[in-house]
Amino acid sequence: MDRQEIEDLIARVALRDRAAFEQLYDRVSAKLFGVCLRVLNKRAAAEDAMQDTFVKIWNNADRYNSNGLSPMTWLITIARNTAIDRLRARKKGHQNLDSPGFELVAPGPNPEQSAVAASEAARLSGCLDALEADRGQAIRGAYLDGETYADLAARFDVPLNTMRTWLRRGLIALRECMSL
Amino acid sequence: MSDVNNAAPDDEMLAAEMVLGLASEQDTATGRKRMASDSEFSTKVVFWQERMTALTDEIEPVKPPARLKKKLFAQLFAKQRVSILQRVWLWQGVAMASLLFAGYLGVQLLKVTTHPDIPPPVLAAQLASDTSPLRVLAVLEPVKNEIALRRVAGDPIANRSFELWAILPGQAPVSLGVLPDSKTMRIPIPPLWRDQTAQMTLAISDEPVGGSPTGAPTGDILAVGAMANL
Repeated sequence: MDRQEIEDLIARVALRDRAAFEQLYDRVSAKLFGVCLRVLNKRAAAEDAMQDTFVKIWNNADRYNSNGLSPMTWLITIARNTAIDRLRARKKGHQNLDSPGFELVAPGPNPEQSAVAASEAARLSGCLDALEADRGQAIRGAYLDGETYADLAARFDVPLNTMRTWLRRGLIALRECMSL
Repeated sequence: MSDVNNAAPDDEMLAAEMVLGLASEQDTATGRKRMASDSEFSTKVVFWQERMTALTDEIEPVKPPARLKKKLFAQLFAKQRVSILQRVWLWQGVAMASLLFAGYLGVQLLKVTTHPDIPPPVLAAQLASDTSPLRVLAVLEPVKNEIALRRVAGDPIANRSFELWAILPGQAPVSLGVLPDSKTMRIPIPPLWRDQTAQMTLAISDEPVGGSPTGAPTGDILAVGAMANL
């Protein structure tokens, strides 16, 4: 997907350009629908999440520039967080994930450095596989299935604090692996 | 092992846990605030956001059904479409009403003017705002030195008064009086202002019964409009 093209479309959507919004929809809706389906695993729920996702994109496009994310990351994050919010909404004590993608962010030293090449996916995958199997699974579970520490502790049948310690060690190892 | 603290995550962990949705509500709230001002921290969040999103690379795109797009666009734009239509309708209504009103006035003016060949300029204003339904047309009657007002939309507010203000460039609003609840009304123009009516802006404010106690507008400005030649 052409980064510049998506970025231009988002910039035009921020100016309330409906034609640009339609083009953006045509370009990225299949990917975002795939993400919603993967998280929610139910078509009707995924359709609702998609609808919400694009409403958020339309309403928050003007925030895109400031957040330092690459355009596809920004769009996918909105879809993923919206889908996971729906998934978690059934559970008690649910907290909204909604806004991280919308936060106004202090610009980093070099925003271009944060752009991730396609090869990064393979690298992440490699790094996750290099982790102890449980930790890699736990990180995937949190990101793709919205599992909380409590969910993960139950799945791996360990105390909550143990789960937290495991996963944080996994994240530290992951950080090191990806920074090499 | 005690190298990883269970209670308070360091910045790197907080950033990662925020992205994964694992951070506690309190940590997340703190982290979000910091993102706005702390570029080192926000760079960490962006790092994790970018890397974790790579997990979605393995997800195959699925074409959503066409009706989804229709539904989305209907939801997003139906409202606006109606409001634009409403605005056009209102504008047409107001323009039509002001035309009729000015026409009516013109006939009256012709009756009293001694030079029927030279139509006198008609000054008028449409008073409106986005925040209130109140819309009032004001037409100046130069011979009688009155402002004729007609409320074309909006209703009087119970236990409140509408007060009419005249504003000249660079000057504080001066009250022209409290408006009666009737649809049409006439307000005399103070002698000092009679030669400056072309630069005048009129405004209507929401005031306690009997009008502003201070001599300046105290409530919301419900409608405002500048005088213009019709």
